[in-house]
Amino acid sequence: MEVSLSGPKVVVAKLKDSKVKRLGFSAPGFGYSGSNFVDLRRKCRVNWVGLKAIRAQVAVEKNNAPFRKEKVQSQTPVELLVGLPLDTVSKSNTINHEKAISAGLRALKLLGAYGVELPVFWAVVQPNSPHEFDWSAYLAVADMARCAGLRLRVSLNLNGCHRPNVMLPGWVLQAAETDPDILFKDKTGALHKDCLSFAVDELPVLQGRKPVEVFESLFRSFSSTFKDYFGSTITEITVSLGANGELRYPSFPPTTDSEFAGVGEFQCYDKYTLSQLKQAAESAGNPLWGLGGPHDASKYDESPNNSNFFKDQGGSWNTPYGDFFLSWYSQQLLNHGDRLLSIASNVFGDLPVQLSAKVPLLHHWHEMSSRPAELTAGFYNSAERDGYDAVTEMFAKYNCMMIIPGMDELGSNPESLLHQIKQACEKHGVQVSGENSALVKQGTDNFGKIKENVQAGLKAFTYQRMGADFFSPEHWPLFREFVRGMERSQLDADDLPEGNGGGVSLSADSEAGNNREMQAA
Amino acid sequence: MSIVRWKPLIHQLPLVRNPSLSLREQPKRYIRCCPKNPSLSSLAGFVLGSKPDSDRNLRPIVEAKAAQSPPLSQETDLISSEQFTVNRIKKTYGKVSVKLERRCGYEARWMLEVSCDLVGKWILHWGVSYCDNQTEWDQPPPEMIPPGSTVIKDYAIESPLNARSEGQSESEVQIEIDGDTPIGAINFVLKEEETGRWYHNKGRDFRVPLRGSSEDEITLSMKQSVSIWPEAFDQISNMLRKHEESDPAPAPILEDNSDTSSKKPIIAFHEDYTVIKEEPVQNSMTVTVRKSDKSSDKNIVDVDTDIPGHVVLHWGVYMNESKNWHVPPPPYPPATKVLRKSALQTLLEKKSLGLGNRGSFALNKEVKGLVFVLKLDEYTWVNNMGKDFVVPIENSTSGNEEKIEEKPGTVSSTDKSVDTGAAPYTENLISGIRNLVDDISSHKNKAQKTNEEQDNILHEIEKLVVEAYRIFKNSSVVEKPDKSVDDTSTTPTQLVVSSGTGNGHEILCQGFNWESHKSGRWYHELGEKAKLLAELGFSIVWLPPPTESVSPEGYMPTDLYNLNSKYGNIEELKDIVHKFREVGIKVLGDVVLNHRCATSCSENGIWNIFGGRLNWDARAIVADDPHFQGKGNKSSGDNFHAAPNIDHSQEFVRTDIKEWLCYLRKEVGYDGWRLDFVRGFWGGYVKDYLEASQPYFAVGEYWDSLSYTYGEMDYNQNAHRQRIIDWINATNGTAGAFDVTTKGILHSVLERCEYWRLSDEKAKPPGVLGWWPSRAVTFIENHDTGSTQGHWRFPAGKEMQGYAYILTHPGTPSVFFDHVFCFQEEIRRLISLRLRKKIHCRSTVKILKAEKDVYAAEIDGKVAMKIGPGFYEPERGPKNWTVAAEGADYKVWEAS
Repeated sequence: MEVSLSGPKVVVAKLKDSKVKRLGFSAPGFGYSGSNFVDLRRKCRVNWVGLKAIRAQVAVEKNNAPFRKEKVQSQTPVELLVGLPLDTVSKSNTINHEKAISAGLRALKLLGAYGVELPVFWAVVQPNSPHEFDWSAYLAVADMARCAGLRLRVSLNLNGCHRPNVMLPGWVLQAAETDPDILFKDKTGALHKDCLSFAVDELPVLQGRKPVEVFESLFRSFSSTFKDYFGSTITEITVSLGANGELRYPSFPPTTDSEFAGVGEFQCYDKYTLSQLKQAAESAGNPLWGLGGPHDASKYDESPNNSNFFKDQGGSWNTPYGDFFLSWYSQQLLNHGDRLLSIASNVFGDLPVQLSAKVPLLHHWHEMSSRPAELTAGFYNSAERDGYDAVTEMFAKYNCMMIIPGMDELGSNPESLLHQIKQACEKHGVQVSGENSALVKQGTDNFGKIKENVQAGLKAFTYQRMGADFFSPEHWPLFREFVRGMERSQLDADDLPEGNGGGVSLSADSEAGNNREMQAA
Repeated sequence: MSIVRWKPLIHQLPLVRNPSLSLREQPKRYIRCCPKNPSLSSLAGFVLGSKPDSDRNLRPIVEAKAAQSPPLSQETDLISSEQFTVNRIKKTYGKVSVKLERRCGYEARWMLEVSCDLVGKWILHWGVSYCDNQTEWDQPPPEMIPPGSTVIKDYAIESPLNARSEGQSESEVQIEIDGDTPIGAINFVLKEEETGRWYHNKGRDFRVPLRGSSEDEITLSMKQSVSIWPEAFDQISNMLRKHEESDPAPAPILEDNSDTSSKKPIIAFHEDYTVIKEEPVQNSMTVTVRKSDKSSDKNIVDVDTDIPGHVVLHWGVYMNESKNWHVPPPPYPPATKVLRKSALQTLLEKKSLGLGNRGSFALNKEVKGLVFVLKLDEYTWVNNMGKDFVVPIENSTSGNEEKIEEKPGTVSSTDKSVDTGAAPYTENLISGIRNLVDDISSHKNKAQKTNEEQDNILHEIEKLVVEAYRIFKNSSVVEKPDKSVDDTSTTPTQLVVSSGTGNGHEILCQGFNWESHKSGRWYHELGEKAKLLAELGFSIVWLPPPTESVSPEGYMPTDLYNLNSKYGNIEELKDIVHKFREVGIKVLGDVVLNHRCATSCSENGIWNIFGGRLNWDARAIVADDPHFQGKGNKSSGDNFHAAPNIDHSQEFVRTDIKEWLCYLRKEVGYDGWRLDFVRGFWGGYVKDYLEASQPYFAVGEYWDSLSYTYGEMDYNQNAHRQRIIDWINATNGTAGAFDVTTKGILHSVLERCEYWRLSDEKAKPPGVLGWWPSRAVTFIENHDTGSTQGHWRFPAGKEMQGYAYILTHPGTPSVFFDHVFCFQEEIRRLISLRLRKKIHCRSTVKILKAEKDVYAAEIDGKVAMKIGPGFYEPERGPKNWTVAAEGADYKVWEAS
């Protein structure tokens, strides 16, 4: 029904498509897994404005010429999404502020948004046991999005979150009470109650089941529960690959979250990780290296300049020991990411959805040669070593889109790190989409930065996140103008010749009917 | 018979807006001749009784191929069946009969009878005009008022119509008239009590002339001279003619007043008007697609609906997914017209017993779907929430490839289930607007995207956003009871300057009282106090309304660009603004945007022609205030009855107002606005004005009554403050509002010694300042409530308790001029404490005590205060509290 008025528009979509296609074929291809649908979908970046994008997509999906991966390129308009509140679904599996969200969805739709991002938490879906799933409230939200005519990116968070205070499922925490070492532990023995240690992925620590098995069953349950929504409403699934929903160690202090801007600490002191470290050290022929993490790394908040490990000149990071530890530490993270992405692509591969995962933009201290904040989070990136190459390769392997937050961060650090990651993505043909770190405040140029980043070639951009502040009179007008500004700047590309005009055949009479209805409002 | 249409549904009827139709063309005789003049009736765009004839021509009816929905045995042939919900407007035609007759058996008694045969509770809202007076709405002598009537202020009577007899729908009211009465005419409109809708006579009052005025005769003679007056003279025009003959030379109006016209005898009068009552009705429509049992390459589409009356299906088919309308190849069903715009019109067959209509069509298999809208009569079209109805036809025989092709069909059918579901009316409208957006984007290059449409969408977005914001804000309080709203809004935006808050640390002074106009040189007098006010710590002063005004106080403005008022002339005004600026005080202009007084009468004696640079006329006046015969749209707010209410929905009005505000900003140098009577129009317009004029600070007066039960103020005033907050929301927070709720509650607190009222059910302040402190402008008195008017005076002798409250609490406090001098030193101490401790509009309040006789609170942990006779002392602890101010029943401490 939505397509009834769109004759000329569809033509435009196709025109542009063929252009995109040409670009795409000239780009380096790479191994591709998944169905036709996944690929076809990729072509629908026709418009920033979701309304039109939907129609375009309908047209495109029918245009069943086989189509392969295209290069991440800069001209195509970007899909705009807005994150739903983290507490959209409460711990007791009910929808919070439903009316507000419903009004918000309609406003976003009218404004021209492409979709919304729905954060899903493990603890909400499986509060009681690894055998039961409760998707009811999330289903209701998906329905709301569908009713509003918006697309949905679902983030499957396998971790906890401090704000709102959603921890791991109760039964997981119970297991952790008997064996605290299944959680990440820092040097002082403090536990990260929001993240299972990567070292237990393949160990039967959760009521006799391995975490990877539990995750797989969760994915499967999601996939079967939402089967009616894939492709039409749910167009993207984001899998959390570590702490805070990102591919990373929880290197921040156990009481805070990723907004923490310090160096952080290595998290390798639970007994399972330690034992793996020990093995690795032994096979490297240096058993003494396997006794623990670097003893001379700084504390969470300390300046890395004062630490023997991270300091630029002669820091022990740049020694054989340092190299051994950091390689091992970052490889553990990669292994974990690989395990989860392999499960996810296995489960979701045949669905008409895009798979994606988040990589943090750890730009604090990026100016130091040792990149300490990146090291503690598990990215062995330094002045001499590109830590993101392997990461991006892994994304490419699973045809996974990379979501990078921090598109609003100003300054040279974010800029150069972002540049580095994007280059890696380009090299491996991984698509990039973006998020902002926080609501943009008045009187800053962060929207300008976002705009700049978006125009520099993102597949999609998710603005985080809906809530009272988002709709506040201080914030909303800024956001609205941002969106409208983006829309205007893309009009040229958007308004290509409309082909054979007069295709619109809604009679003038029924338009009069429309007006009548408007007046009644 | 003439036609009367219920107004509200059609705000923008061309006739109402058409300035070329002067008011004098409207008197009653005109009504009478309307139907005889087809061009006029069609110009009016009204639904006429003659219209169904054209439909009748379309018979005979579609041949029925299926008498009912397909029976079960045919199920195998059934391809699809969809049910649509059809929202339409049901029109009920009724008659309003107005009869003026001599009362049986009385020579000099007359009786006016108004009756209506539509079901409902009808109210006659009426007034009279005397022969010797131009006013249209005057109070009749008391003996005329029928029993059961209500007198509305001094200009109208509301008399209910009573059922003529038990169980009959027809109701009537009778008004007795004395033959010697000096009344020249009776004017009325009808109101339906349940819905509150007004029924006008083509957007104007009904008018019953008792004896015909000279003015009417002039109209008549003019008409005759251009000979459009129809030949068929009825009783009335005969009468009028006679009068004309007896008084052949129309004398100038002013001379021809009471002495002649009141001598004329009363003339009998009888006129029937058609009234159309429109109500939304929900019908359904089922479209079934099945295989034809006769021919294998055809599908049969059955349409079945319960809409009564004539239903014409305006339809086409589409062959591909673009869903463009096409005319299928013939043959067509009987009673089908082919329209040039690629559509067919088929009259559906009436089902037996009048239970609806149905029809069926045979379509070729190539057809991918049916698109249609319904036409119920010449002027009534029904679509599927702003879109065409679309029925995709899937051919079960088609191959796999085609199945994939149908996929979008499923997408659209899910969309449809949204649109046609039992969603509330407003939601449907929203989806209608959403479709409009679709329209717009697809028509983009066709220059159909008018500003107006865009504005509509933007307004809709803003409304939704405001709604979402309000709920989020309130629900986040429920979610995190430990984290107050105040906190959340405090942190991010403390130093942000917005017109809703100023810099957040503002303290207002109302720079006048009700008597200030008397000296004629107020600007001068107040200017001398600028230094003192600055020294006391005020950052903003609010000056009286600056324009020419009917009332000396300035609240009945006439020429907005004439800035010479009883307070001083424009030069003195500029001078005082300059003086305040020099001492660092920002200046607010008091702008009256809700209403404006006319400077001259229209020909029929209504004061609705404006003078001065903005020479608006009746089009700038809202249509639902019967006393000024506005030709604009319905008011977007409440009416202020003493003067014509401005119709802010008119773009020219808004443009003019914006220009005026910008002129004031630039020419006078005002920094911001105090907006008078903002209840009268939608806050969204205020937002427009503020965005255009970019004030530093703006505050609106949204003053309505608090909730009382049996004369006692309710503890919970959430509804009251919600109304104020709704208004602020509508302005998108670009303006603050006077915290009337807090003032009202303080009244009860102090008068009755009930300090417990100062803590709401969530232990927050109970006024606007508890919910949206940054937008609350707290006050205890102003020129209306106090001064020499005293409409709602603050409890005498307790003013300082009030100030101890508002000057220590969040919000932006405003001090009344009189109080600045009565309580100068005490106020000085409180303001200085507020500034010293940096209490601002978003400070946090921790209520420590809210008991019968004492209220105590801590603000930002830096200031503690108590009011009331009861005892409170801050606890000795880590903080060292010292007394900062003290007076009758109040005490304030600061932490050092």
